[in-house]
Amino acid sequence: MRAEAPAAGAQREAEAGPAAARSLPWRSPTLLVSVAAYAAFTYYVAHDGTLYLQGLILVAAVFGILAVSLDLVAGMVGLYSLGHAGLFAIGAYGTTLLYNDHHWNLFVLLPVSMLGVGIVGLLLGTLTLRVSGLYFAITTFIFTLVVTVVASDFAFTGGYGGLIGPIFPGFPGWLDWLGQSLIWCCMALLLLAVLLSLALRRSPLYPILLAIRDAEAFAAAAGARTALIRIGLFGVSAAMAGAAGWVFTFQGFISPSQFDWTVSVNILVMVILGGLNTTIGPVLGAAFVTMFPAQVNINPFWQEVLFGGLFLAVIVVYPAGFVGLVEAAARRLFGLLPRREGEAPAAAVAARAAEHPAPIGISALVAAAREGAHHPEAVPSAEDGAAGVAASRLAVECRGISFAYGSGALAVNNVDFLVKEGSIHGLIGPNGSGKTTLVNLIAGSLKPQAGTIRLEDVSFEKGGPPARARAGFMRTFQAPVLVRELSVADNVGVGLYSRVPRVVPRAPLWPVLPTARKDDRRLRGRAADALRFVGAEQWTRARVTNVPHGIQQLTQLAAAVVAGPRAVILDEPLAGLSPTEVEHVATILGELKSAGVSVILIEHQPRFVFALCDEVTVLDAGEVVATGPAAAVRDNDRVREVYLGR
Amino acid sequence: MLQVLLSGLASGAVYGLVGMGFAIAFYVTRVINFAEGQLLMVAVMVAAAIARTGVWVGFALAGGVLAAVLAGVATYLVAVRPVLAFSRFSFAWLVSTLGVALILQNVAAIIWGPTSRSFPTLLNGTGVHIGSATLTLQELVTIGVAIGMAVGFELVRKRTLFGKAGMAVAYDPEMASALGANTGMMAVIAFAGAGLFAGIAGILIGPITYSNPYLGNTYGIAGFVALMIGGTERPVAAMVGGLLLGILEEASKSLINTQASDWFPFVVVVVILLVTPQGLFSVGPQLRGLGRRWRRPRPAVT
Repeated sequence: MRAEAPAAGAQREAEAGPAAARSLPWRSPTLLVSVAAYAAFTYYVAHDGTLYLQGLILVAAVFGILAVSLDLVAGMVGLYSLGHAGLFAIGAYGTTLLYNDHHWNLFVLLPVSMLGVGIVGLLLGTLTLRVSGLYFAITTFIFTLVVTVVASDFAFTGGYGGLIGPIFPGFPGWLDWLGQSLIWCCMALLLLAVLLSLALRRSPLYPILLAIRDAEAFAAAAGARTALIRIGLFGVSAAMAGAAGWVFTFQGFISPSQFDWTVSVNILVMVILGGLNTTIGPVLGAAFVTMFPAQVNINPFWQEVLFGGLFLAVIVVYPAGFVGLVEAAARRLFGLLPRREGEAPAAAVAARAAEHPAPIGISALVAAAREGAHHPEAVPSAEDGAAGVAASRLAVECRGISFAYGSGALAVNNVDFLVKEGSIHGLIGPNGSGKTTLVNLIAGSLKPQAGTIRLEDVSFEKGGPPARARAGFMRTFQAPVLVRELSVADNVGVGLYSRVPRVVPRAPLWPVLPTARKDDRRLRGRAADALRFVGAEQWTRARVTNVPHGIQQLTQLAAAVVAGPRAVILDEPLAGLSPTEVEHVATILGELKSAGVSVILIEHQPRFVFALCDEVTVLDAGEVVATGPAAAVRDNDRVREVYLGR
Repeated sequence: MLQVLLSGLASGAVYGLVGMGFAIAFYVTRVINFAEGQLLMVAVMVAAAIARTGVWVGFALAGGVLAAVLAGVATYLVAVRPVLAFSRFSFAWLVSTLGVALILQNVAAIIWGPTSRSFPTLLNGTGVHIGSATLTLQELVTIGVAIGMAVGFELVRKRTLFGKAGMAVAYDPEMASALGANTGMMAVIAFAGAGLFAGIAGILIGPITYSNPYLGNTYGIAGFVALMIGGTERPVAAMVGGLLLGILEEASKSLINTQASDWFPFVVVVVILLVTPQGLFSVGPQLRGLGRRWRRPRPAVT
C-alpha cells in the first residue's frame, strides 16, 4: 500500500503539468510583453514627455502604488483601511525630515521609510485587531486625521506651509539617455508593487487570504493564524505606502493637505472604481482619479460634477469597477474569452473526469500527504490503523469539560469524551444537547471553563484551531464555511495550509521560486486526489457559488482530509445530502478508518450512526447519557428513552 | 467655564444632528452616506435662496428642509439602492455616495457661486444671559431643538410599531422582510430622516455660517466624528457624541490654544476608540462583562 504511493504521486504530478505552467508567469509571454510595453512607456515619458506629463504620471504612479497597497488588505483580507493617507504622510514626512535635518542618504531612506511605516502599520493593525469591517475603517480614518493634525499644527513639520522635499539625483552620464531618473524610479516601484500583488495572487497563500476574509473559521481550522496573517499583511501594505511616501517627496514640496482624510477616501475610491481584488484594477483607478481632473479642461465646477457622475455611473452600473466593465465588454465582444476558471464547459469537465477513471484510495492519499509532514514519527500505516482500535490509544481525551455561553446555563456539563485512535466515534443527541459546542471545544474555537483536553496525548488547553490543524486535527462545519468566489479545488487547497513549508514568507516571491513550482504541482495533485477521493472530481474547477449544497459538504470533507490528518471531526456531514451521497460518505468514512484516521462524527440520523460507528457517545442537555461500543449504546435503556424511544 | 459648556453644546448640537443623520441611514441600510454633510449644505443654500426672493422666512426654512429631505431620498434611490442590490456587503456605496457629494457640492457652487452669501439672521441677533455666560437665542434654540429631536426619534423608534419595524430591518433585513416589513420603504424613510436631521441642522446653523457650498465638508466630517464617538448601535448616541465633540472643541480652544480645537477632540476620539472600538456607548456591556469576569472566568467566544 505504502510502496505504491510515491509512484502514484509522481504520475499524478505529471498529469498536473499543464495546469502548473500557470505558476510560471515570469516566463509567460503576456507578462514579458506587458513589462516591455511598460518599460517603453516609461522611456517615452521619462525621455520625451513634457514636464507637465511627467508630473501627471508621477502622481498617478505614486497613487497607483498606494492603491495596490490598499487593495492587498482591502481586497484580499477585507480590511478597508482609511489610514493609508496617514501612512503615506509618515513616509513622506519621515523622508523629508530625516534628509533635511539629519542629511541621511536618500537611498538608505527608502528601506528606512518602508520599515518605519511598516512598523507603524503593524502597531496600528495590532491595536485595531479587535475590530473589523466598518470599525476598522473608522479607527484607521481617525489615525489619518491625527497624522494630518500633527503635520499641520506642530512646528517641526512646517505647519500648513509644509516642507521643501529633497531633489532626486539624476542618472549618471552613461545612463543619461534614459531621461528623467525620478520617473524611472517611481515606475519601477509601481511595477514592483503590481508584481508583488500578482505573486501573492498566484501563490497558495491567496486562497488562505480569501478564506481569512470570507470564512475565517475555515482558515483557522486549516491551521492559519488568521489575526497574525492579517496584521502582517497590513504591515506589508503599510510599508508599500511608506515607499510611496518616499518617492512622493521628490515631486517638490509636501504639505498636510496632500495627506488629509479625503486622500484616504480617494485611495479607496481608486481601488473600488478600478476593481476590488484585481491586480491591475487599482492602478487603472489611480490613473483615472489622478488624471481626470487634470485632463478635462472645462469649468472646474462642471468638471467636478462630471467626476462625481462618473463615480456614480461606473459603480452603479458595474459594481465590480473598471475591470468588471472591461470583462463585461470583452464577454460581449468575444463571447467566450473571459470565461472564468469556474465556468469550464461541461464537455471539458467530462473529458477531464474521464482521464482519471480509477478512484484513488484514501490510504495512498494519506500516505502521500503525510510524506514530509511535520510529525512523520507517529503516523500509523494502513495496516497499523486497522489494528489501532485494539491497541486503543486515545485520539481525543476530554475529561470533565464544562462550558457555558455567556452567563447562561451550562451547554456542556462535566463531560468525559474519549475517542480511540483509528476508530469512528459517533456523537449524537437531540437538538441543543451540546454536540456542536463539544466539537467546538475539541476543535479549539471555544475554550472550556473547566476540564482538560488532550489530543494524541498532547494537552491542548491553550492554542486555538490553528494549533490543532498543525497537529493533524481537521474539522468540517455544520453549515459549509467556504470561500464562495474560489473554485472547489482552491478551497480544498486551503486545507493544505499546514503542509506547505513556510508558505507565508515564500508567497511574495512565489512565481520565481524554483521550489514553488514543485510545491504547486504537489498541491494541485493532492487537491485533485482529495476531490477524487470524495467523488467530487467533476466539480474541481467550478466555483463554490455554483455548486450544489451536497458538493459543498464534500468539498469541506476533501479540505479536511487532503492534508492527511490524524483525526477528522465531521459536524453533520450528511445534512442535506441525497441518499446516494449518504451511501458514498459512508464508504468514505470506512476508507478513512482503514487508513488509520480517527473520525468523530456528529450526526442526527441514528440509524446511520449505529451502523457505521465503532463507538457512540450520546449527549443530552449537555451531559453524557451513555458512551461505549455502538451495539451496547443502542441497547441502553436511557438512550432509547432520551433519543430513540419516545 | 459655563460659557465653554454652553457654546460647546450649541455647536455640538449641530454636529449631533448631522451625526444622527448619518446614524439613521446607517442603522437601517448599513451604509455611511458620505453625502450627509452636503444635505445640510443643500438646506442652507435653498433656504437662503428662497429667503432672498423676499417671501416669509418660514417658507424659506421649510423649503430648505424639504430640499434636504428630497436630496436624501434621491441619494438613496440613485446611489445606494442599485449598489446594495448588487451586494449588501461591499463598500461600493462609499464611491457612489461620494459621487453624490461631489455633484451636490459643485452644482450648488455653479448655481449660487462658490463664495459665502447671506442667510436670514433669524434669532441670532438676540443675546441671552445665563449666569456668567452669553449665548444668542439661536444657539439656545439649536440646543433645545437638537435634544428634542433626539428624544423624539428615540420615542418613535422604541414606542411605535413603525420604529420597531425599523429596528427589525436594521437587525436582519431578510427576516424582517419575510415577516412583512417593507424594507425598501424603510430604507427610503431612513434616508428621508437623514435628510430631515441634516436639513434642520442646516437651518439652525445657517445664521452663523451664512450660505456656502462647501459647508458640507466641515459639518459632514464633524457629524461623522460624532457618529464614531457615539458608535452606530443606537442613533441617539451620535447626538451625545456630537455634544461631547462640541464641548471638547470649545474647551480646547479656551484652555489650550485656538489651534487645539483641530486636534484635541481627535486625540480624545482615538482614546475612546482604543478603549471601546465600537463607540463610547458600547462600553456598557463591556463593563458588565468585566463585572462577570470578577466572579468567574468568562469564555472567549469566537
